[in-house]
Amino acid sequence: MADKTVLNTTPYDDAAEQQKFLERRKKQMEEDFAKPFDPDCVLEVRHLRKTFPIKKTMMGKVTKELVAVDDISFKLKAGETLGIVGESGCGKTTAGRAILKLHQPTAGQIIFNGQDITHLKSRQMRSIRKQMQIIFQDPYSSLPPRSTVGGILSEPVQVHKIVPKNQTKQYVLELMERCGLRDYYYERYPHEFSGGQRQRICIARALAVNPKLIICDEPVSALDVSIQAQIINLLKQLQRDMNLAYVFISHDLSVVKFISDKIGVMYLGSMMEFGTKEDIFRNPLHPYTKALFSAVPNPDPTAKMERIKLEGDIPSPANPPKGCRFHTRCPYAKEVCKHVPPEYKQYEEGHFAACHLLDE
Amino acid sequence: MSEKKGYLTNREIRAIAKANAKQIKRLEAYKNRKAEESEFLTQMKDDSNILEIEDLHTYFFTEQGVVKAVNGVSYDVPKNKVVGVVGESGCGKSVTSMSVMRLIQGPAGQIVEGAMRFKAYDYQRDAKGNPVCDGDGKPVMEEKIYDIAKMPINEIHRIRGKQVAMIFQEPMTSLNPVFTIGEQLDEVTLLHVPNATKQMAKEKSEEMLRLVGIIPENVYSSFPHELSGGMRQRVMIAMALAAEPRLIIADEPTTALDVTIQAQILDLLQDIKTKIDGSILLITHDLGVIAEMADYVVVMYAGKVIEKGTVLEIFQDPKHPYTIGLQKSKPTMTLDDSTELYNIPGNVPNPVNMPQHCYFKERCAKCTAKCSGQYPGMVQVSPTHFVACHLYDGEEKHG
Repeated sequence: MADKTVLNTTPYDDAAEQQKFLERRKKQMEEDFAKPFDPDCVLEVRHLRKTFPIKKTMMGKVTKELVAVDDISFKLKAGETLGIVGESGCGKTTAGRAILKLHQPTAGQIIFNGQDITHLKSRQMRSIRKQMQIIFQDPYSSLPPRSTVGGILSEPVQVHKIVPKNQTKQYVLELMERCGLRDYYYERYPHEFSGGQRQRICIARALAVNPKLIICDEPVSALDVSIQAQIINLLKQLQRDMNLAYVFISHDLSVVKFISDKIGVMYLGSMMEFGTKEDIFRNPLHPYTKALFSAVPNPDPTAKMERIKLEGDIPSPANPPKGCRFHTRCPYAKEVCKHVPPEYKQYEEGHFAACHLLDE
Repeated sequence: MSEKKGYLTNREIRAIAKANAKQIKRLEAYKNRKAEESEFLTQMKDDSNILEIEDLHTYFFTEQGVVKAVNGVSYDVPKNKVVGVVGESGCGKSVTSMSVMRLIQGPAGQIVEGAMRFKAYDYQRDAKGNPVCDGDGKPVMEEKIYDIAKMPINEIHRIRGKQVAMIFQEPMTSLNPVFTIGEQLDEVTLLHVPNATKQMAKEKSEEMLRLVGIIPENVYSSFPHELSGGMRQRVMIAMALAAEPRLIIADEPTTALDVTIQAQILDLLQDIKTKIDGSILLITHDLGVIAEMADYVVVMYAGKVIEKGTVLEIFQDPKHPYTIGLQKSKPTMTLDDSTELYNIPGNVPNPVNMPQHCYFKERCAKCTAKCSGQYPGMVQVSPTHFVACHLYDGEEKHG
């Protein structure tokens, strides 16, 4: 009973606000989809959305769904790195996989190299896969245990016919050298290597087909600090040499800061803030970004910093809160945040955020 | 790299198995022996410490040979302080803490030699080993110093879980999925408090849950899978605190958690340290966590302590090239990112065939001719700061 009276006193009608929000978004989407593709960009993502069914009726109709990625948009140029940060379960990995079409996006557009690849069939995707590759998080489970390093690296070269057959070995050996692998590793099996070496093999495999874009899904989180530094330096150097674009997904803010040009902060499937690295670190707009930055432990025992404490845990993505998704943990949440979803707007040149508090 | 690694011949494998079996038999017999209390009572070197680990060797007798996971580790945990142990994976930091709890998985893993002196507050015992009671039937308590390495395994319950408690790395897997949180918490009290009733245990458990910031009504009768990672780690901390331990070993307590949840748990640990009258041994690979939490820092590499000192000494004036490299190679929020990140080349050497010289020699930028000789001893560079490196051999003037 008490709850009902509280609800009645609020000036907001949740259902109507949600409806208004959806209509506004639909209009925005139609406008954006009609825009021409940006020729400078390797990758352009417009209003990407991915949902997974969690409940179906007997007839197979989806009655409840989990929104893993909800309306994210960004552009990425060649030679640039986009860092996506967020806590576990915020949809950053799903976003990365949806970009590669390892998951078919539910809605939105993915424009790769001036071509809309959202609705391409898997046969048509095959030639495009040559240009977009992925490095997975766990180097221990992402290499086939029964192939030698040479075999692992030759396979993509042969499948995509990168070089003539008789030059494959020479090509693979050059590739290995570039990734810091000795030539006598060619005959070895993955189990003979340490984590850092395996991650180098994974990077070499991704590079074998001369891609333009690499999705790095937490490539260093399974590695020790000293090895992590080696891999980050390798990734940076390869980017300079080959003009690669990276989408770098990580939960480690300090690593993302080191490697990225642009940063997107995700929370419960939504992009909370997006901007260049300088903007995000110099002037974080969203309270979640601020809290996330202040939560990183500082390896300097004398520095005493003000920490913005977040109470509680991330709500379940199957049942996200109404209004702003962050309001349950936000230290500055107001009445409006609990009912009206905030609009994702540009506040500075190239610096976007979604928060009601910024509108005041 | 392991250029000459090669494979073992059958004859070598048999020889290793034979040697291992002999060692294991001896050590298992020592572990399972019956012993008088006087055998494992000892004296502390420094009375302000709660735990003193001295020259601990814990080996794993594997089919490839003996892995010296902990190879002569010594450090102290002073009373009411937080000692942070930092190192990369495989450096033996967890094996050291498991040795203190005597949780090394036998028969392959064995504590071979060394001493772990722990200042316990235990019952006074009579000749038969039963607790002595005073006139009211209450057991008489006294301070005793146990050598954990010498204790037979069936006496370890005197300290394990009661005097020394452990918070494990994976809150997801270290709670029992088929019992409720309440049952698992009550068990601690029922086991460690003599004549405890179920009612007493429940009250104690609820008090502990409140202490870690959980409302007991919501959680007491739920199962572990119903809780989030942060909540499970809080339950683990509550469980560790339930027996009022003197020493808490936190083995990577926040590694599996998100940064915002990690901040909550670290705050909680800080808070608890002031509430209970005990020490914390914090094991982690995250230098940021160490800087925030610890009073003293121990840096380990390949089964040895290479540097130890107060937190300010280690972070502001690191001596060992490995400590320096470790701090430089960690990207921080304030780092200038136009430059290349510093990195330590190479990998940790193969644990089966450790070289005679300094284990860090192959990866060290400052190594000298002397480094090919003996493994460097501990050099004291200030009253509290020790380093194992030949670069500082001449500087032992403060000691």
